[in-house]
This record gives sequence, C-alpha cells and structure tokens, in this order.
Amino acid sequence: MATQTQMELSQRVPTGSLLAGFLGVQALAFVAAYLSNRPTAFAVFVVFSTSAVAYAVETKRDVGPAAGRLLALHAVAGGGAILADAGLRAVFSLLFGVAEIQFPLWFAAYALFATLGGAVVVRDGGFLVGMATTGSLLVGALGLPLLLFVARQKPALVIEKALDPGVHQVLYLGVMGPLVAALLSLAFGVPLAYVLANGFAGQQLVESMVDLPLVVPHSVAGLIILFGFGSGGLFPGLPVLGSMIGMILAMTFVSAPYAVNTAREAFEAIDTRLEYASRIHGAGQWQTFRRVVAPLAVRGMITGGILAWARAVSEFGAVAVVAYSVSFFYPFAGESVTAQHAPVFVYNTYLQGGLEQSGAVAFLLLAVSAVIFLLVRYLTDDSTAIGGVV
Amino acid sequence: MGLTADLHARFTAEGTTGFTVDAAIEVETGESLAILGPSGSGKTLLLETVAGFHSHEGSVALDGTAIHERPPERRDFGFVFQDYALFPHMTVRENVEYGTRYHDDVGDVDRLLGELGVEDLADRYSPTLSGGEKQRVALARARAVKPQVMLLDEPLASLDVPTRQSLREDLADVLTDVTAVYVTHNRTTARAIADRIAVMFDGSIVQTGTPEDVFENPRSKRVARFTGSNTIALDRAPSLRDHLDVPAEGAISVRPEAIELSKRNGGLDGTVRRVVQEDAASRVTVSIDEATVEAFATQPPTTGETVEVSIPPERVTEL
Repeated sequence: MATQTQMELSQRVPTGSLLAGFLGVQALAFVAAYLSNRPTAFAVFVVFSTSAVAYAVETKRDVGPAAGRLLALHAVAGGGAILADAGLRAVFSLLFGVAEIQFPLWFAAYALFATLGGAVVVRDGGFLVGMATTGSLLVGALGLPLLLFVARQKPALVIEKALDPGVHQVLYLGVMGPLVAALLSLAFGVPLAYVLANGFAGQQLVESMVDLPLVVPHSVAGLIILFGFGSGGLFPGLPVLGSMIGMILAMTFVSAPYAVNTAREAFEAIDTRLEYASRIHGAGQWQTFRRVVAPLAVRGMITGGILAWARAVSEFGAVAVVAYSVSFFYPFAGESVTAQHAPVFVYNTYLQGGLEQSGAVAFLLLAVSAVIFLLVRYLTDDSTAIGGVV
Repeated sequence: MGLTADLHARFTAEGTTGFTVDAAIEVETGESLAILGPSGSGKTLLLETVAGFHSHEGSVALDGTAIHERPPERRDFGFVFQDYALFPHMTVRENVEYGTRYHDDVGDVDRLLGELGVEDLADRYSPTLSGGEKQRVALARARAVKPQVMLLDEPLASLDVPTRQSLREDLADVLTDVTAVYVTHNRTTARAIADRIAVMFDGSIVQTGTPEDVFENPRSKRVARFTGSNTIALDRAPSLRDHLDVPAEGAISVRPEAIELSKRNGGLDGTVRRVVQEDAASRVTVSIDEATVEAFATQPPTTGETVEVSIPPERVTEL
C-alpha cells in the first residue's frame, strides 16, 4: 500500500522543469526575504508552499472546491491561533521559564493547526499532505540556518581568509588528518567488520568495544587516548600530545565505529550462498573475498569511509584535548608548521575574533568538505562507478 | 566407488532447541541419488554438510579417499542452489567461467551455454534473467568445472510449472551419466530424475531404494503418505480386509494408480466422496466402511455413487 502511494506520488509530483521552477521560486523568495531583512517570512513561505503543493497534488481532480476549503481552513486556523495566543504564551513561559517571548507564538500555532487541518480536509491522500507539511518544518529548520549562514558571510572577509596561508595550513590539516584516520579505520575496520558479520563467540563484547566511542563524551575520548597512547601508555616514546599522530589517533577512535558498522551491514547483506557457490566451485577464502564479497560490499565500505572521514573532520572534543595545536610537516612550505584542526581553529577564532571572523573560516571549511563529499559521491555513483574495481 | 557420507552434525539457531542431522548416504559412480523429504527434514543441511559448508562429525569419502578434512574448494563438487546464487555483479559468461580458473580439466563455456539454451544471454547480468534462465546458468556454472559429483539443492522448487517441466527434462539428460545427489521435496521430480531415492525425516534417512521400491513398498506409514500412497488401517475397513484376505489388525499401503474403479459388479463396494479433476485423470476419493482411499479414473464416477474397488493383492504392502 505504502509502495503504491509512493509510486503514484512520484508519477504525479512535478518533475524536471516543474521541479526546477519550484526551486527557482523558492530561491527568489529567499533572496526577497533576505534583502528585506525578514528571513522568518521565507521560513513561512517554505512551509506553506510545500503544504500548497502537496495539497494541489492530492486534490488535482477538483481544484476549485479544494482551494476554497484550503482558504477557509487557513482562516479558521489563523483566527484560532490568534485567540489561543495569550494562553500559549502563559504555558510557554511556565515551561521554559521565559518571562517575555519575542517569537510570534500565535504563528507557530497557526502553522500547526493549518497543517493538521489540511490533512483532514483533503478527502484522499490527506495523510500525505500532513506528513509532507510537518516534514517541511524540519527541512526548514535544518536548511534555513545553513542558507542564512552562507548568505550572511562577507565576501571580502571570506576572500581575505581564503588567501591567508595560516588558513591554508588549517584546511590542509583538516582534510589530511581525517583522510588518514578514515583510511586507518577502513584498513582495520573492514576485516573486523567481516569477522563480526560472520559471527563468533564473544561477539557482543567486541561489538560493545566498537560502539563505545559512540557513547563516550568526546572530551573523555581525548583523555582515553592520552592515557592509552600518551607517555606511559601503549607506545612509550610515541609523541601523542600535540602531534599529528595524536590527532589521527583521536580521530580514528571516534570515527572507526562508523566505518566498522557500515561495512558490517554491507557484509551482512550478502547472501551466504554466494560465498558457498564461490567456494564449492574452486575459489579459496581469499579469492572468494576478492571476487565476490568485496565487490558486493564495496559501496558499504566507501560509505563507511565517508562517514568516518566526515566524523573526523567535525571532531572537536577529542582533538582539542589530545592536540589543541598540532605540529606537522606542511609540504607546500616544505617545513614543519604548527596549526590547529579546523573545528578547533574555528572555535578559537570565534573566541578571539568574534562571529564574523570565525564565520568566514567556517564557510571555507564547509565549502571544502562539501566539495570532497560531492566528489566521492560522484566517483561511487552507479553511472560513474569505480565499484567493482576491487 | 562413488561418494559415501556418514555424517553427524548439530545445528543451533537462536530461539530454537537445535537440529541434528544424522544420516548416511552412498552414491555409486554415475548414479543419481535423490534425497526426498518434507520441508525442515534437514535435507539441505545434509547436502551442505557433504559440500563442506558446515562442521560435522563422521566421514565423507570420494572413490575411497576421505575428503571431509578438505575445505569445499578442494572437494571437486559442483553445486546448484534453489535460489540460483548467481553472482549479481557478473555477466552470465563470467558466472559460468567463475570456477574454471581453479581447475585444470574444465568444460567449454560456449558449448555449455549452448547446450542449456542460454548462449544469447552471455553478456547479460544475472539479475536481469528469469528464474528458469538463472537456473540454467547456475547449472552451466556447476558443469563448467567438470565436478566428480554434482550436488543439487531443490533446483526446480522456485520455478513456475512449465519452466520446471522443461528444465526437469534437461536436468534428467544432464544427470544420466553424472554422479549426483539431488535434494527435493517433490516426489514427482525425485521419481523422474533419480536412480535411487533416500527418504529423509527429522534429520535421518528412513528408507533407501530404487524409485520403484520406495514408492511400491514403503517401510512405514509416514514414507507411504509422503510418497503419495494410500495408507489404510484394516480394522476401520473390515470388508476390505475380508476381500484381500490378509491377517487382521495391521495397516496396508497401496498406490492410488494401482486401484481400479468400475461399475458395481459384486466385488468390494466403495462410495465416491469426492472427485477432483487433475491434468490427465480425476483423483477420486472413495470410502470403504470407515476408511478412505484415493484412486485415479479417466472416466470419473459422480459423487455419492457406489463403485466396485479392485485392488490387486500383489500391489499391497503391509505396514
């Protein structure tokens, strides 16, 4: 039933040029709202245009009466929300301990009433209208801050930061460190994932160890690294505190679970009988892994690597504890330099230079991460696949 | 000499009490042995254990040489799976060629594809094939390594009826002079393909013999029922007992195709309870006293009619 609805929806929802038109209108609305200094208006526009589109799609057959019902509904929802405003403010103050609320609370209530009411007045497919409109609230909450973040950067400041050699070092460190950490996670995580996917006695203990970094506060993870690998730890003589090695160890610690768990799911999804078929017709365990298991799981491994890399790029707590300032060899200068991992650098800039300065640096970090992410996705896409090369 | 296996293997899965396979089979060179049993009887596990996929106690020997210590890739078997198990990331040709690089004496891939009628599909990827095509490719893949023994796990079970029939004929041709173990729950398939049949219940082989022997002389009620024979408790059918003149109290089995129904003529009477039209004949259920028997009739009687039931004494087996 659900599948059928989705099929119908994908057939009926505007695609191609219509979709481009919808996005174009949204972009125009954003520019207009931003230039008139009213970003809230755009948030409202997103929610209601989504609602309207979903409503239009679901009531295609009798647009006139449907539009009438929708307008009446909004009138009722708006009126009700304004009437309920005083009560809502009281409840809100009580719950959050805020005396005076600047936020237009009646409007939030209006959006909620209109959304839920919209689901009721659409005769068929109202469920979908409700789901789509409610979901658009989260899309807005996730996407709009990012849009505003990008839009509110000062181009001159971004360019200045982009030309700053110190920032180059930070970006180099912020890409290379996580890359090494992700490769380490994969190199050791893929064999572990394979063993876990096949099952063994005491497996749960190992699983808990693998998942531990996911639940440990990251500053604690940093301390664990220092106790485990720092002076007096596993590798006496290995410089960990303030070194590239320490930073990569901290990153690997927090990102390895993503590589292991994703690769493991990929292995578990492979039918055991494919391995049987390979073995019985002459291939040994390694040949079976190389020719059957690995090619079928390669997408999961790459996804695991991307997740591990992304986790390492964004790691703040553990890296700040282990290697707040990192000394490393910087090939473009041909010498050893000292810089900070990008999130640490952004936070530092925020403390010392304020929001504008740190925003420009964060913007550059975001851009580099996005480019790398898109590049990897492009390389592993079905149409351009390198999958199966293994 | 062929293949002999005498195995004891225990399988556990979460939430179950465990399952034990304790079975011995012998297949002469060139012979096809069908392991016939209901779902859950452990026949697939037995086959997979012979192949080397599961740890076990006991022995597996090929032409007198013990091979149970060897990993699957060194046992010289070919395997055809119920759900095909073709490599989805390879073309048909790559699938069939898969094992050839590990063997010295291999089949000609193009000829094998041709013999099984899938040569036009050589460059297609396996997920784009139909079930029947997939199983033909899987059969070619197993034959390409020229195995000493072919192991087949319900290769026809996932196919629709016309595809099953045409592939069954091809399989019968392929298996004429090949040593093979063929697992199935379908008695028609077992009878059509096997030189001998081993009936398996609850992890053990309960009867082994030629198809004729197993179908005509089942050793227990359960085997009789599973192979499609009538089982009749004689104390529920006194008139049948008198008519056949066999010692009282026991139970007998008789094939439905051995029973003849005719117009009432002073012999053993039965009442027609149900008539179901099947492909070539009708399956007729007749009650004799308190017992019921099934028989086939090309010119079926009508429900409620009284008919004469002729049961040749030489086709009756005491249970």
